[in-house]
Amino acid sequence: MPKYSFATAATVDEAVRLLNEPEVRSIPLGGGTDIFVALRVNPLWFDRLVDITHVPELHHIGVADGVVSIGAAVTFTQALESELLQGVAPFLACACENVGGPAIRNSGTLGGNVANAAACADSLPALVCLDAVVHLLSPAGERALPISEFVSGPHQTNIQPGELITHFSFAQPPAGARSAFIKIGRRRAQSISRLSIAAIGTTNAGGAIDYIRITPGAATPKTIRFTPVEDMLKGQPPTRELFVRAGEAMSAEMISVTGRRWSTPYKEIALKAITERVLAAIFLQEAQPC
Amino acid sequence: MTDYRYIGKPIDRVDALEKVRGTARFVGDYHLPGMLYARCLRSELPHARIVKLDVTPALQVPGVVAVITSDDFIDHGRFGFPISDLFMLAYEKVRYVGEGIACVAAETPEAALAGTKAILCELEELPAIFDMEHALDPNAPQIGPAREDGKHPNFLGHFPVYDGDPEAVLVDCDAVIDQNYETVMQEHAYIETEGSLAIPTVEGGVLAYVSCQSPFIARGHIMRTLGLGETAARVINPPVGGSFGGKDDLNYMTAGQVACLALKTKRPVRMTFSREESMIASYKRGAMRMRVRVGADKAGKLRACHFKATYDSGAYSSQSPFTSWRASIHAMGPYRYDACTVDLTTVYTNNGFAGAFRGFGNPEVYAGIEQAIDELAEKLGIDPLDFRLQNCLRLGDTTPHGQTLTESVGLSDCLLAVRKASDWERKRAAYAHQSDPDRRRGIGVTALFHGTSLGAEGTDEATGTIEIHQDNRVTLTSGLTDYGPGSRTVYCMIAAEMLGVDIQRINIHLPDTNLAKDSGPTVASRSTMLGGNATRIAALNLRQNLDYAAADLLGCEVFQLQRAGESYLGPSEEPVPWEVVVEHARRMGLVLSTFGRWSAPKIHWDEEAGRGVPYFAYHFGAQIAEVEVDLRTGLTDVLNYYAAHDAGKVIFPQGAYGQIYGGVAQGLGYALYEDVDYMDGYLQSINFDTYLIPTSVDVPEINGSFVETHYSQGPFGAKNIAEPAMVPVAPTILNAIAQATGRRVRKLPANLERVLLGETLHKKGSPVSCKVALKSV
Repeated sequence: MPKYSFATAATVDEAVRLLNEPEVRSIPLGGGTDIFVALRVNPLWFDRLVDITHVPELHHIGVADGVVSIGAAVTFTQALESELLQGVAPFLACACENVGGPAIRNSGTLGGNVANAAACADSLPALVCLDAVVHLLSPAGERALPISEFVSGPHQTNIQPGELITHFSFAQPPAGARSAFIKIGRRRAQSISRLSIAAIGTTNAGGAIDYIRITPGAATPKTIRFTPVEDMLKGQPPTRELFVRAGEAMSAEMISVTGRRWSTPYKEIALKAITERVLAAIFLQEAQPC
Repeated sequence: MTDYRYIGKPIDRVDALEKVRGTARFVGDYHLPGMLYARCLRSELPHARIVKLDVTPALQVPGVVAVITSDDFIDHGRFGFPISDLFMLAYEKVRYVGEGIACVAAETPEAALAGTKAILCELEELPAIFDMEHALDPNAPQIGPAREDGKHPNFLGHFPVYDGDPEAVLVDCDAVIDQNYETVMQEHAYIETEGSLAIPTVEGGVLAYVSCQSPFIARGHIMRTLGLGETAARVINPPVGGSFGGKDDLNYMTAGQVACLALKTKRPVRMTFSREESMIASYKRGAMRMRVRVGADKAGKLRACHFKATYDSGAYSSQSPFTSWRASIHAMGPYRYDACTVDLTTVYTNNGFAGAFRGFGNPEVYAGIEQAIDELAEKLGIDPLDFRLQNCLRLGDTTPHGQTLTESVGLSDCLLAVRKASDWERKRAAYAHQSDPDRRRGIGVTALFHGTSLGAEGTDEATGTIEIHQDNRVTLTSGLTDYGPGSRTVYCMIAAEMLGVDIQRINIHLPDTNLAKDSGPTVASRSTMLGGNATRIAALNLRQNLDYAAADLLGCEVFQLQRAGESYLGPSEEPVPWEVVVEHARRMGLVLSTFGRWSAPKIHWDEEAGRGVPYFAYHFGAQIAEVEVDLRTGLTDVLNYYAAHDAGKVIFPQGAYGQIYGGVAQGLGYALYEDVDYMDGYLQSINFDTYLIPTSVDVPEINGSFVETHYSQGPFGAKNIAEPAMVPVAPTILNAIAQATGRRVRKLPANLERVLLGETLHKKGSPVSCKVALKSV
């Protein structure tokens, strides 16, 4: 194991200060569930880890003026057990429940999941659906970026050296919105997502879909909402026939982004299936895992 | 039925507490004063000539104390049986990515790594073979050793069984299946990686702690390759953290390397592998490609089997001659045929190398034959369980090898047991009519026979010792290793039962070549039968001495003695405590240390004729899997699992059930997830983030049971269980998937893509992670 140093931050300010000490390449450490795996096959890309998991405000989950806020060091377990998140964004809690196994969920953080920016990150599809905003802090001050701008590609973000993700925020979804998350893994736990999907939506008094956001995970290099499919669904009464067409549109959209890759023959079929299922879970109240 | 005090009764494992409390000391837990750390320079090319190997720059690296190459061993450290094609370190050529070339001993692991990087090693890349189908092409580059018989050097062996002419019978059959099946390599995934520690002795020899299966084999290789006498090389087996067949050849190299370095530096030297080094350097279960043709008549009578297969041994022969032979013996499944041919050819390639792995060739052939049998039953419109019952081997039958089964044949009872336990008939019928377009269930069955112990592979005997000490504690030795299955507990139970004493009195030493007697390799699920019989005889010999002393003490004849608990009773006396009898025996000058040797019944195999008596007894079993398949994502859930095994008399119930549970879990991984994928010789999954084995939530409730046919030659009627539990799992699950989906997956594993699409998707690989890991601490 390569040699590096380690520091623990007690406050947000201390974390930012440590991350910006000159001549020491420092990066924030959440649960370490990505960093320590990457260290085994990558040359060292930092001199020091700054442990931010002991900063109380980075564990905060709250809602104020219709805006939900989640601290960067909130673990998957904290998120999935949060009654607030279970209420306002159950698909995000469900996505967190699908991460790894108990040990990984107990240590891994949402901040780390987003900063690592894997195309298969379990929390990203729900956060993207929510149009979550990433809040960053550096000696230059605060900065906020929509998550779709923050994550620029697989394992690529627009974080600047010395910046710390402090929290995520998103507007509370419309009253009555229902959401769902489905993940396909190769096994039932400790499994990297082969494909996933998050969606949230409501119908209006007339029974037509008036609000819908849908985001597949591990389908495109950068996790994005499939807005053409959302547009297709909007204003339509939710029927199984519609969902079948939506599934086909999702696969077509995926292929238009990625082209045909080695996994496309599988994913184009499986994405149709989980699209239909996620929409049925939301609009037809069909049961899905978590 | 005999009323035993210990045999067949629940008991704590003798090593349970130290494992649960974490006090067991594995090789990696040893830290001796002055100990050096060893590390191998390993090949980054799958096939290359070593043009230049200069270790002197490594000796300039701070902290490096010594470097060895194949030149430091006698005959370059050549070893291997029956084909000597391995070297303690590569000689002249490397044949797989990860092969050891030189070994550095240094003050720290970091210095050892820096030493390997400083070695000047020039490799000239050679053309390589990664497709077993092309290994014997006339222009294929030579991988295997040169042959004098004119055969291709990449030809490792041909393993036939011949019984009549199946071609002539197949044309007469009402239904014939002709299908290809394929298995891939599998990683053992033992929790403890490879490791050895060698300590130079004051006499100029070496004491080695080796995490291996067979300490006498490790000692033999050290002796021969380093020129030491038997007394100068001693091997002790520390607790071994899992093996499954995987702690043989590679760790004998590790042992030889640290022994050589310890002699050279006069300091203790330890080598332990990272997980990545373990996965890259270690041998695997070999891959097999099969064409299976089976035929039956309308009434469901199986008539002929023609099994043709190619087996990929990778770069070295290792155990493949034996693995291939065992595979050939079982390739037709446990059935009666009018005619049968098995035709198995094993070849060299540059895909890592294949060696021993639980089941030893049988999980591979069963993935073929037990699917073909299912397909044939389906074609005939016969229930696959009934089809197996109709054709399975029974007492008095003669096998396709020409062996008549005279005792302990519980196969039909195993099939009946799983049929009942699983509610087979109802489920099989219900699952034939499902309408849910998304998720469907299926239930599948297999039947199993698995030859016990080594078979006609060679000498098959074991020796145990037993001794009563001054404090009246009893110690045992065995030359066989308990790397997890529980054989040490079995031996203590047998000794306590035979002596009629409390088991708490009995301890068993870890295998030590200076204390124990060579008992052959710890392989082939032979420990209970071979080591158990040896312990039984050793204890019987000791008890005869004690009985003699007791009769003398009680003034009676031996036949008049009775036991009350541990105490001895004569015809007219009060009970005499066991300790008093022992003390009396000492005063009489009787030796309270005995040994027992047991040799397996003689058997024979004619390799040319493909006929004989391959094994002295067989384990039988039947398994049923119930699955739910997501038809739209390809995800398979194993819902329930049923396994009934004829292991003879069960001696240690928790151990035996544990073997069923572990075997099913390991087989489930083989069926659904595990794929050792070599891309042009480079292993693609080098750790457990991408090499997936089942987690606890992937393994269903397992309903295990035993059909205890008595085997007259086994200790207390016992046969075995360790490997057989794993052998038929993959085809059992695949047969269930076939019912659920209506489509066969004929290549393992039945992953998402194969189940959904019925085809294999190929991801482009990369050599990068292998190359990086070979240079990381």
